[in-house]
Amino acid sequence: MRREFALLSIILFVVSVSLLVSIIAHYIYIPGINIRPLAHIYLNTTYNLVNRNFTANSPEAVTAIVWDYRGLDTVFETTVFYLAIIGSIALGRGLFKFSKSSGETGLSIIVKSVSRITTPMIVTVAVSIALHGHLTPGGGFQGGSTAAVAPLIIIIAFSQYFLIERGISKDLMLVIRSLGLLMIGIVAITAYFIGVFTKTPAFVLQNQAKTVSPVSLPAYLGGQLISGTLWFFNLAEFFAVLAGFTIVILLLVIPERAFKSDVK
Amino acid sequence: MINPVTYFLSLILTALIVNLGLSLYGVFFRPSLIKKIIALTIFSDTANTFAILIGFRRWVDNQPSIPPVIVGDYTSEIIQKEFIKRSVDPLPQALVLTAIVIGLAVTLFLVFLTLQIYRTYGTLDIREIRRLRG
Repeated sequence: MRREFALLSIILFVVSVSLLVSIIAHYIYIPGINIRPLAHIYLNTTYNLVNRNFTANSPEAVTAIVWDYRGLDTVFETTVFYLAIIGSIALGRGLFKFSKSSGETGLSIIVKSVSRITTPMIVTVAVSIALHGHLTPGGGFQGGSTAAVAPLIIIIAFSQYFLIERGISKDLMLVIRSLGLLMIGIVAITAYFIGVFTKTPAFVLQNQAKTVSPVSLPAYLGGQLISGTLWFFNLAEFFAVLAGFTIVILLLVIPERAFKSDVK
Repeated sequence: MINPVTYFLSLILTALIVNLGLSLYGVFFRPSLIKKIIALTIFSDTANTFAILIGFRRWVDNQPSIPPVIVGDYTSEIIQKEFIKRSVDPLPQALVLTAIVIGLAVTLFLVFLTLQIYRTYGTLDIREIRRLRG
Protein backbone atom coordinates (compact mmCIF):
# COMPACT_ATOMS: atom_id res chain seq x y z
CA MET A 1 0.00 0.00 0.00
CA ARG A 2 2.78 2.43 0.96
CA ARG A 3 4.65 1.54 -2.25
CA GLU A 4 1.67 2.35 -4.46
CA PHE A 5 1.13 5.58 -2.60
CA ALA A 6 4.76 6.62 -3.10
CA LEU A 7 4.61 5.73 -6.82
CA LEU A 8 1.35 7.64 -7.29
CA SER A 9 2.70 10.71 -5.51
CA ILE A 10 5.84 10.70 -7.66
CA ILE A 11 3.78 10.49 -10.87
CA LEU A 12 1.43 13.26 -9.67
CA PHE A 13 4.42 15.41 -8.74
CA VAL A 14 5.98 14.97 -12.18
CA VAL A 15 2.76 15.75 -14.06
CA SER A 16 1.92 18.84 -11.98
CA VAL A 17 5.43 20.29 -12.01
CA SER A 18 5.69 19.82 -15.78
CA LEU A 19 2.37 21.64 -16.16
CA LEU A 20 3.87 24.50 -14.20
CA VAL A 21 7.05 24.42 -16.28
CA SER A 22 5.09 24.46 -19.54
CA ILE A 23 3.10 27.48 -18.37
CA ILE A 24 6.38 29.27 -17.64
CA ALA A 25 7.79 28.05 -20.95
CA HIS A 26 4.94 29.80 -22.69
CA TYR A 27 6.76 33.04 -21.92
CA ILE A 28 10.46 32.13 -22.07
CA TYR A 29 10.52 29.39 -24.77
CA ILE A 30 12.45 26.26 -23.87
CA PRO A 31 13.94 24.88 -26.04
CA GLY A 32 14.68 27.88 -28.21
CA ILE A 33 13.97 28.24 -31.89
CA ASN A 34 17.63 29.03 -32.55
CA ILE A 35 20.62 26.91 -31.68
CA ARG A 36 23.88 28.14 -30.20
CA PRO A 37 26.31 30.05 -32.44
CA LEU A 38 28.91 27.28 -32.04
CA ALA A 39 26.43 24.66 -33.25
CA HIS A 40 25.57 26.94 -36.15
CA ILE A 41 29.24 26.98 -37.18
CA TYR A 42 29.40 23.18 -37.03
CA LEU A 43 26.24 22.75 -39.12
CA ASN A 44 27.38 25.35 -41.61
CA THR A 45 30.84 23.90 -42.20
CA THR A 46 30.34 20.15 -41.91
CA TYR A 47 29.91 19.77 -45.66
CA ASN A 48 30.39 23.05 -47.45
CA LEU A 49 31.49 23.36 -51.08
CA VAL A 50 31.71 27.16 -50.98
CA ASN A 51 33.78 27.66 -47.85
CA ARG A 52 36.63 25.27 -48.65
CA ASN A 53 38.89 26.44 -45.84
CA PHE A 54 36.74 25.35 -42.93
CA THR A 55 34.77 22.34 -44.07
CA ALA A 56 35.20 18.79 -42.72
CA ASN A 57 33.75 17.26 -45.92
CA SER A 58 31.38 14.98 -44.04
CA PRO A 59 27.56 15.17 -44.30
CA GLU A 60 27.36 13.68 -40.79
CA ALA A 61 27.98 16.52 -38.32
CA VAL A 62 28.35 14.25 -35.26
CA THR A 63 31.17 12.16 -36.74
CA ALA A 64 32.81 15.35 -38.01
CA ILE A 65 32.78 16.75 -34.46
CA VAL A 66 33.94 13.50 -32.88
CA TRP A 67 36.97 12.95 -35.12
CA ASP A 68 37.70 16.33 -36.73
CA TYR A 69 36.64 19.40 -34.75
CA ARG A 70 37.15 17.75 -31.37
CA GLY A 71 39.51 14.95 -32.38
CA LEU A 72 41.92 15.29 -29.46
CA ASP A 73 39.00 15.06 -27.05
CA THR A 74 37.98 11.74 -28.60
CA VAL A 75 41.52 10.39 -28.45
CA PHE A 76 41.57 10.99 -24.70
CA GLU A 77 38.10 9.51 -24.29
CA THR A 78 39.42 6.42 -26.06
CA THR A 79 42.19 6.39 -23.45
CA VAL A 80 39.60 6.39 -20.66
CA PHE A 81 37.83 3.50 -22.38
CA TYR A 82 41.00 1.42 -22.49
CA LEU A 83 41.90 2.26 -18.91
CA ALA A 84 38.62 0.64 -17.84
CA ILE A 85 39.42 -2.46 -19.90
CA ILE A 86 43.03 -2.60 -18.67
CA GLY A 87 41.66 -2.38 -15.13
CA SER A 88 39.46 -5.41 -15.80
CA ILE A 89 42.39 -7.37 -17.24
CA ALA A 90 44.56 -6.46 -14.23
CA LEU A 91 41.84 -7.65 -11.84
CA GLY A 92 41.48 -10.92 -13.72
CA ARG A 93 45.17 -11.69 -14.13
CA GLY A 94 46.03 -15.35 -13.66
CA LEU A 95 42.43 -16.32 -14.34
CA PHE A 96 42.89 -17.16 -18.00
CA LYS A 97 43.70 -20.85 -17.55
CA PHE A 98 40.79 -22.56 -19.26
CA SER A 99 39.96 -26.18 -18.81
CA LYS A 100 38.61 -28.23 -21.72
CA SER A 101 34.89 -28.44 -22.26
CA SER A 102 33.25 -31.58 -20.95
CA GLY A 103 30.67 -33.06 -23.32
CA GLU A 104 27.73 -31.13 -24.80
CA THR A 105 27.66 -27.47 -23.79
CA GLY A 106 25.45 -24.50 -24.51
CA LEU A 107 21.73 -24.00 -24.90
CA SER A 108 19.21 -26.05 -26.94
CA ILE A 109 19.44 -26.69 -30.69
CA ILE A 110 16.75 -24.06 -31.44
CA VAL A 111 18.76 -21.29 -29.78
CA LYS A 112 21.96 -22.47 -31.48
CA SER A 113 20.35 -22.48 -34.96
CA VAL A 114 18.85 -19.02 -34.48
CA SER A 115 22.21 -17.72 -33.22
CA ARG A 116 23.97 -19.19 -36.26
CA ILE A 117 21.65 -17.15 -38.51
CA THR A 118 21.57 -13.90 -36.55
CA THR A 119 25.24 -13.56 -35.56
CA PRO A 120 26.53 -12.91 -39.13
CA MET A 121 23.68 -10.43 -39.58
CA ILE A 122 24.69 -8.55 -36.43
CA VAL A 123 28.31 -8.35 -37.60
CA THR A 124 27.21 -7.17 -41.07
CA VAL A 125 25.02 -4.41 -39.66
CA ALA A 126 27.81 -3.38 -37.28
CA VAL A 127 30.37 -3.11 -40.08
CA SER A 128 27.88 -1.09 -42.12
CA ILE A 129 27.28 1.28 -39.18
CA ALA A 130 31.03 1.74 -38.70
CA LEU A 131 32.09 2.19 -42.33
CA HIS A 132 29.21 4.54 -43.24
CA GLY A 133 29.85 6.62 -40.14
CA HIS A 134 30.71 9.72 -42.17
CA LEU A 135 27.52 9.49 -44.30
CA THR A 136 24.75 8.17 -42.05
CA PRO A 137 24.25 8.11 -38.26
CA GLY A 138 26.89 5.83 -36.81
CA GLY A 139 30.64 5.51 -36.51
CA GLY A 140 33.36 3.43 -34.95
CA PHE A 141 32.07 3.56 -31.37
CA GLN A 142 28.53 2.55 -32.30
CA GLY A 143 29.59 -0.12 -34.79
CA GLY A 144 32.05 -1.64 -32.33
CA SER A 145 29.47 -1.76 -29.56
CA THR A 146 26.98 -3.41 -31.92
CA ALA A 147 29.54 -5.97 -33.09
CA ALA A 148 30.42 -6.81 -29.47
CA VAL A 149 26.92 -8.29 -29.15
CA ALA A 150 27.94 -11.13 -31.50
CA PRO A 151 30.58 -12.72 -29.19
CA LEU A 152 28.20 -12.25 -26.25
CA ILE A 153 25.48 -14.22 -28.07
CA ILE A 154 27.96 -16.92 -29.11
CA ILE A 155 29.20 -17.28 -25.52
CA ILE A 156 25.68 -17.57 -24.12
CA ALA A 157 24.30 -19.89 -26.81
CA PHE A 158 27.36 -22.09 -27.49
CA SER A 159 29.53 -21.61 -24.34
CA GLN A 160 32.91 -19.89 -24.31
CA TYR A 161 34.79 -22.99 -25.49
CA PHE A 162 33.20 -22.49 -28.91
CA LEU A 163 35.11 -19.20 -29.20
CA ILE A 164 38.34 -20.43 -27.61
CA GLU A 165 38.55 -23.54 -29.82
CA ARG A 166 38.34 -21.23 -32.84
CA GLY A 167 41.27 -19.16 -31.63
CA ILE A 168 39.38 -16.10 -30.33
CA SER A 169 41.26 -15.67 -27.07
CA LYS A 170 42.20 -12.77 -24.83
CA ASP A 171 45.65 -12.47 -26.41
CA LEU A 172 44.32 -12.24 -29.99
CA MET A 173 41.82 -9.60 -28.90
CA LEU A 174 44.61 -7.65 -27.17
CA VAL A 175 46.61 -7.71 -30.41
CA ILE A 176 43.60 -6.48 -32.46
CA ARG A 177 42.91 -3.76 -29.91
CA SER A 178 46.52 -2.58 -29.96
CA LEU A 179 46.54 -2.58 -33.78
CA GLY A 180 43.38 -0.44 -33.75
CA LEU A 181 44.98 2.01 -31.33
CA LEU A 182 48.16 2.09 -33.42
CA MET A 183 46.15 2.88 -36.54
CA ILE A 184 44.36 5.73 -34.74
CA GLY A 185 47.77 7.13 -33.77
CA ILE A 186 49.20 6.80 -37.28
CA VAL A 187 46.17 8.42 -38.95
CA ALA A 188 46.30 11.23 -36.40
CA ILE A 189 49.88 12.21 -37.30
CA THR A 190 49.67 11.57 -41.08
CA ALA A 191 48.79 15.13 -42.00
CA TYR A 192 51.50 16.45 -39.67
CA PHE A 193 54.22 14.37 -41.35
CA ILE A 194 52.97 15.29 -44.83
CA GLY A 195 53.41 18.88 -43.68
CA VAL A 196 56.92 18.15 -42.39
CA PHE A 197 58.03 16.55 -45.68
CA THR A 198 56.48 19.20 -47.93
CA LYS A 199 57.63 22.12 -45.71
CA THR A 200 54.09 23.39 -45.12
CA PRO A 201 52.50 24.05 -41.72
CA ALA A 202 50.14 21.30 -40.54
CA PHE A 203 48.88 20.05 -37.19
CA VAL A 204 48.17 16.73 -35.52
CA LEU A 205 44.65 15.33 -36.15
CA GLN A 206 44.23 17.58 -39.18
CA ASN A 207 41.68 16.39 -41.72
CA GLN A 208 40.99 19.00 -44.41
CA ALA A 209 42.94 22.08 -45.43
CA LYS A 210 42.63 25.15 -43.21
CA THR A 211 43.61 28.74 -43.91
CA VAL A 212 46.95 28.59 -42.09
CA SER A 213 47.78 24.93 -42.82
CA PRO A 214 46.97 23.93 -46.39
CA VAL A 215 47.61 20.17 -46.01
CA SER A 216 44.53 18.16 -46.95
CA LEU A 217 43.91 14.42 -46.91
CA PRO A 218 41.85 13.16 -49.88
CA ALA A 219 38.12 13.56 -49.26
CA TYR A 220 37.21 11.30 -52.18
CA LEU A 221 38.79 7.92 -52.91
CA GLY A 222 37.84 6.42 -56.27
CA GLY A 223 34.80 8.65 -56.53
CA GLN A 224 33.54 7.63 -53.08
CA LEU A 225 33.33 10.17 -50.25
CA ILE A 226 35.56 9.01 -47.36
CA SER A 227 35.97 12.43 -45.69
CA GLY A 228 39.75 12.26 -45.30
CA THR A 229 40.70 10.77 -41.93
CA LEU A 230 37.17 10.10 -40.69
CA TRP A 231 36.75 6.76 -42.51
CA PHE A 232 40.08 5.42 -41.22
CA PHE A 233 39.37 6.58 -37.68
CA ASN A 234 36.00 4.86 -37.76
CA LEU A 235 37.54 1.61 -39.07
CA ALA A 236 40.28 1.60 -36.40
CA GLU A 237 37.89 2.52 -33.60
CA PHE A 238 35.50 -0.24 -34.72
CA PHE A 239 38.14 -2.96 -34.29
CA ALA A 240 39.47 -1.46 -31.07
CA VAL A 241 36.06 -1.17 -29.38
CA LEU A 242 34.98 -4.64 -30.58
CA ALA A 243 38.17 -6.26 -29.25
CA GLY A 244 38.03 -4.34 -25.97
CA PHE A 245 34.48 -5.38 -25.18
CA THR A 246 35.21 -9.00 -26.20
CA ILE A 247 38.07 -9.14 -23.67
CA VAL A 248 35.81 -8.01 -20.81
CA ILE A 249 33.01 -10.38 -21.88
CA LEU A 250 35.49 -13.28 -21.95
CA LEU A 251 36.62 -12.26 -18.46
CA LEU A 252 33.09 -12.18 -17.08
CA VAL A 253 32.24 -15.73 -18.19
CA ILE A 254 35.24 -17.47 -16.57
CA PRO A 255 33.65 -20.43 -14.77
CA GLU A 256 33.54 -20.46 -10.99
CA ARG A 257 35.58 -23.66 -10.67
CA ALA A 258 38.50 -22.08 -12.58
CA PHE A 259 38.60 -19.30 -9.97
CA LYS A 260 38.35 -21.75 -7.05
CA SER A 261 41.19 -23.92 -8.36
CA ASP A 262 43.25 -20.75 -8.79
CA VAL A 263 42.74 -19.75 -5.15
CA LYS A 264 43.82 -23.19 -3.92
CA MET B 1 -3.18 28.12 -24.29
CA ILE B 2 -0.65 25.42 -23.36
CA ASN B 3 1.16 24.05 -26.36
CA PRO B 4 1.08 20.20 -26.25
CA VAL B 5 4.67 19.96 -27.54
CA THR B 6 5.88 22.27 -24.78
CA TYR B 7 3.92 20.28 -22.22
CA PHE B 8 5.43 16.96 -23.27
CA LEU B 9 8.93 18.46 -23.34
CA SER B 10 8.53 19.81 -19.82
CA LEU B 11 7.08 16.43 -18.77
CA ILE B 12 10.28 14.81 -20.01
CA LEU B 13 12.38 17.46 -18.24
CA THR B 14 10.64 17.05 -14.87
CA ALA B 15 10.66 13.26 -15.13
CA LEU B 16 14.39 13.39 -15.80
CA ILE B 17 15.01 15.53 -12.72
CA VAL B 18 12.96 13.16 -10.55
CA ASN B 19 14.76 10.19 -12.12
CA LEU B 20 18.08 11.82 -11.25
CA GLY B 21 17.02 12.12 -7.60
CA LEU B 22 15.76 8.53 -7.45
CA SER B 23 18.94 7.11 -8.96
CA LEU B 24 21.11 9.13 -6.56
CA TYR B 25 19.01 7.72 -3.71
CA GLY B 26 19.74 4.25 -5.10
CA VAL B 27 23.48 4.91 -5.27
CA PHE B 28 23.68 6.28 -1.71
CA PHE B 29 21.22 4.23 0.31
CA ARG B 30 21.01 0.76 -1.25
CA PRO B 31 23.32 -1.66 0.53
CA SER B 32 23.72 -4.12 -2.36
CA LEU B 33 26.57 -3.38 -4.76
CA ILE B 34 24.63 -4.70 -7.78
CA LYS B 35 21.75 -2.33 -7.01
CA LYS B 36 24.23 0.51 -6.68
CA ILE B 37 25.58 -0.29 -10.16
CA ILE B 38 22.05 -0.43 -11.61
CA ALA B 39 21.26 2.96 -10.05
CA LEU B 40 24.53 4.34 -11.39
CA THR B 41 23.67 3.27 -14.96
CA ILE B 42 20.24 4.89 -14.61
CA PHE B 43 21.97 8.04 -13.37
CA SER B 44 24.38 8.18 -16.31
CA ASP B 45 21.59 7.51 -18.84
CA THR B 46 19.53 10.32 -17.31
CA ALA B 47 22.48 12.68 -17.53
CA ASN B 48 22.98 11.72 -21.18
CA THR B 49 19.32 12.36 -21.95
CA PHE B 50 19.67 15.77 -20.31
CA ALA B 51 22.56 16.60 -22.60
CA ILE B 52 20.57 15.52 -25.67
CA LEU B 53 17.62 17.63 -24.50
CA ILE B 54 19.85 20.71 -24.20
CA GLY B 55 20.70 20.37 -27.88
CA PHE B 56 17.08 20.06 -28.93
CA ARG B 57 15.48 22.74 -31.07
CA ARG B 58 11.93 24.03 -31.27
CA TRP B 59 10.05 23.18 -34.46
CA VAL B 60 10.58 25.72 -37.25
CA ASP B 61 7.44 26.60 -39.31
CA ASN B 62 5.55 23.61 -37.81
CA GLN B 63 8.10 21.29 -39.39
CA PRO B 64 9.81 18.80 -37.07
CA SER B 65 13.50 19.26 -36.27
CA ILE B 66 15.87 16.92 -38.08
CA PRO B 67 18.97 15.06 -36.87
CA PRO B 68 22.35 16.65 -37.70
CA VAL B 69 22.88 14.55 -40.83
CA ILE B 70 22.49 15.87 -44.37
CA VAL B 71 20.16 13.35 -46.01
CA GLY B 72 20.03 13.05 -49.78
CA ASP B 73 22.18 15.05 -52.17
CA TYR B 74 24.58 16.77 -49.78
CA THR B 75 26.16 18.87 -52.54
CA SER B 76 22.86 20.66 -53.20
CA GLU B 77 22.63 24.22 -51.85
CA ILE B 78 18.88 24.06 -51.11
CA ILE B 79 19.18 20.93 -48.98
CA GLN B 80 22.06 22.54 -47.05
CA LYS B 81 20.03 25.70 -46.34
CA GLU B 82 17.12 23.56 -45.12
CA PHE B 83 19.53 21.50 -43.02
CA ILE B 84 21.03 24.54 -41.28
CA LYS B 85 17.56 25.94 -40.68
CA ARG B 86 16.06 22.86 -39.04
CA SER B 87 18.81 20.66 -37.66
CA VAL B 88 19.34 20.20 -33.91
CA ASP B 89 22.62 20.93 -32.09
CA PRO B 90 25.16 18.19 -32.96
CA LEU B 91 27.65 18.89 -30.14
CA PRO B 92 25.74 17.25 -27.21
CA GLN B 93 25.13 14.21 -29.39
CA ALA B 94 28.85 13.90 -30.12
CA LEU B 95 29.65 14.13 -26.41
CA VAL B 96 26.94 11.63 -25.43
CA LEU B 97 28.00 9.12 -28.08
CA THR B 98 31.44 8.65 -26.55
CA ALA B 99 30.02 8.90 -23.01
CA ILE B 100 27.70 5.95 -23.65
CA VAL B 101 30.45 3.64 -24.90
CA ILE B 102 32.83 4.66 -22.09
CA GLY B 103 29.99 4.25 -19.59
CA LEU B 104 29.44 0.72 -20.89
CA ALA B 105 33.14 -0.11 -20.44
CA VAL B 106 33.22 1.37 -16.94
CA THR B 107 30.04 -0.54 -16.04
CA LEU B 108 31.59 -3.79 -17.24
CA PHE B 109 34.67 -3.02 -15.14
CA LEU B 110 32.49 -2.35 -12.06
CA VAL B 111 30.52 -5.56 -12.65
CA PHE B 112 33.74 -7.55 -12.85
CA LEU B 113 35.03 -5.84 -9.70
CA THR B 114 31.78 -6.74 -7.92
CA LEU B 115 32.09 -10.34 -9.11
CA GLN B 116 35.60 -10.53 -7.67
CA ILE B 117 34.40 -9.00 -4.37
CA TYR B 118 31.66 -11.62 -4.20
CA ARG B 119 34.16 -14.40 -4.89
CA THR B 120 36.49 -13.12 -2.17
CA TYR B 121 34.04 -12.15 0.56
CA GLY B 122 30.95 -14.18 -0.27
CA THR B 123 28.66 -11.17 0.10
CA LEU B 124 27.66 -8.02 -1.78
CA ASP B 125 26.25 -6.15 1.22
CA ILE B 126 28.39 -3.04 1.58
CA ARG B 127 27.94 -3.01 5.39
CA GLU B 128 29.25 -6.57 5.68
CA ILE B 129 32.23 -5.80 3.43
CA ARG B 130 33.13 -2.80 5.57
CA ARG B 131 33.01 -4.92 8.71
CA LEU B 132 35.33 -7.57 7.24
CA ARG B 133 38.22 -5.09 6.95
CA GLY B 134 40.26 -6.20 4.07
